[in-house]
Amino acid sequence: MSALILRRVALLGLILLAVSLLTFAIVNVLPGNVAHAILGETATAEEIRAVEQRLGLDRPLVERYLGWVGAMLRGDFGTSLAFNQPVAPVLLARLWNSAILAALVLAVAVPLSLAVGVACAVFQGSLLDRALSAFAVVAFALPEFVIGLALILAFSIWWPILPGSSLIGPGENPLAQPEALVLPITVLVLHQLAHLSQITRASMIGVLDSNYVRTAELKGLPRLTVIVRHALRNALLPTVAEVGMHFGYVLGGLVVVETLFSYAGIGQLMVMSVSHRDVPTLQATVLVVAAAYGVGNLLADVVSMRLNPRLRS
Amino acid sequence: MPVAGNGAAPIAARKARSGWARVVRSLLGGAFPVGVLLLLAFGPSVAPGAPTTFDPANILQEPSLAFLFGTDEFGRDVFSRVLWGARPTLFLALACAGLGVLLGAPTGLAAGYFGGRIDEMLMRTMDVLMSFPALILAMLIVVMLGASTINVILAIGVVFWPRSARLIRSVTQDIARREFVDAARARGEPVVYILGREILPNIIGILIVDFTLRVAAAILLTASLSYLGIGVKPPTPAWGLMVKEGQQFLQIAPWLVIFPCLAIAVVSIGTVLTGDRLRRAIAIPDGRGR
Repeated sequence: MSALILRRVALLGLILLAVSLLTFAIVNVLPGNVAHAILGETATAEEIRAVEQRLGLDRPLVERYLGWVGAMLRGDFGTSLAFNQPVAPVLLARLWNSAILAALVLAVAVPLSLAVGVACAVFQGSLLDRALSAFAVVAFALPEFVIGLALILAFSIWWPILPGSSLIGPGENPLAQPEALVLPITVLVLHQLAHLSQITRASMIGVLDSNYVRTAELKGLPRLTVIVRHALRNALLPTVAEVGMHFGYVLGGLVVVETLFSYAGIGQLMVMSVSHRDVPTLQATVLVVAAAYGVGNLLADVVSMRLNPRLRS
Repeated sequence: MPVAGNGAAPIAARKARSGWARVVRSLLGGAFPVGVLLLLAFGPSVAPGAPTTFDPANILQEPSLAFLFGTDEFGRDVFSRVLWGARPTLFLALACAGLGVLLGAPTGLAAGYFGGRIDEMLMRTMDVLMSFPALILAMLIVVMLGASTINVILAIGVVFWPRSARLIRSVTQDIARREFVDAARARGEPVVYILGREILPNIIGILIVDFTLRVAAAILLTASLSYLGIGVKPPTPAWGLMVKEGQQFLQIAPWLVIFPCLAIAVVSIGTVLTGDRLRRAIAIPDGRGR
């Protein structure tokens, strides 16, 4: 088991290496020129040369890549062009804020999806099941900003009970104003719920149909015990795997939701660095998000292994 | 992507489903493609005005008979802008999905048919592309290539590439083991013939379904990108961009946001439902969504 996990961690290392190469390649090798992206389309040749010199863009690619990765490993994420200060502290503070948001979303979405999915499977074909399936199609088809704006209109403008923005000062703990987190979390939870509950429902229907569940029922175990102790354990696996695979959408969703609610997280930092043409910050942020994605997948794999003995050998 | 039940619905439930719910569903599914075509063909010509004409006398007007969806801060007619925005939104989504399948299908075919080293090499490359969240990879590529429609298509096409390739690979692996493929190989047919004439016709249905699912995903991705202000520039009437620009007037003029959002919702839900119907009609397993 631990050897498997070690192998998986080594694989994560390889993925991170590949991801850093690709990020670097997109930024530096694609026809769009970095200095151009920074200065905008009206830049003169001299301005471009000056920026290239300042950022060391005139050095060979390999040297620049190694320099960048080496500095990242030492905790130096480069210097932000927009704020003229090191990227690392800003990035870490925002990473923390985003992690809080993502953790809260998963903490609400996963148990809720399990409950909803199991209820839909047990009462398959009922009004509840059909209503929730229809809801899932709608919630999954809508972009996060549409759901978010609908919630803001409903709950902070027409019936003002919740703040429509989650602005927090630098260094402030986002948990200090829990009410400001309700709407952003709801948006992301709805999206997750739509997807995960349907996965749980499908796998639960399959398990409820199996022989061992029928045996459990026939030997007179209470229905609740059969569902929770016998069926759910197996039905859980696809959901957990899906949480890992779906983690990328949580991260993508964070970009949109943080922008919509002005929440000082890593997604908003990414959008800000795009609009400020702050390439070093963008490059570092993308790499950190991809790393978070890789770690999320790894965690989901480890949980799957714990739940499923067949995966351990 | 919502997953279909295992078909084990109790009889009572099946009966209920074959009633009004089914009628509504097929109406929705059938009406949607027709509605979209009509919108594409006639949207701009039924639009009461041009999408970019300023009208200083009618700034931030509420929806009324004169301005069905109200006007924005420059007096532009929101109804006209929403109608004009339909064509670029849909063309963009079709192009992104098309490029994704065009890249993914040959990759998946080659990986699935040849197997071995070629498969390893191609699929590990796809894994790297998959290790970025979709929206974030698209964002990075558009930003570095520069904001233009072509670059948005390129970026989203690249995002879809591995997702399409994985699906096509798994189907190809299955087909490549069949006897008629062995027969073609024994006849000494060239590889291009086997891939193009023996295998491709057998996966065309799946390609079509994959394409529809990508269109739905592309509508979401392009809307999110344009909402973030990436890839499109004002005064283009892209729906996402209209929402972004209208958001500052949410308190006093919510119609600036509501109508483009509704347009996105209708088109997006319609495409998802159409894709789902197609998938069920052709009866293939879920292609792991977006």
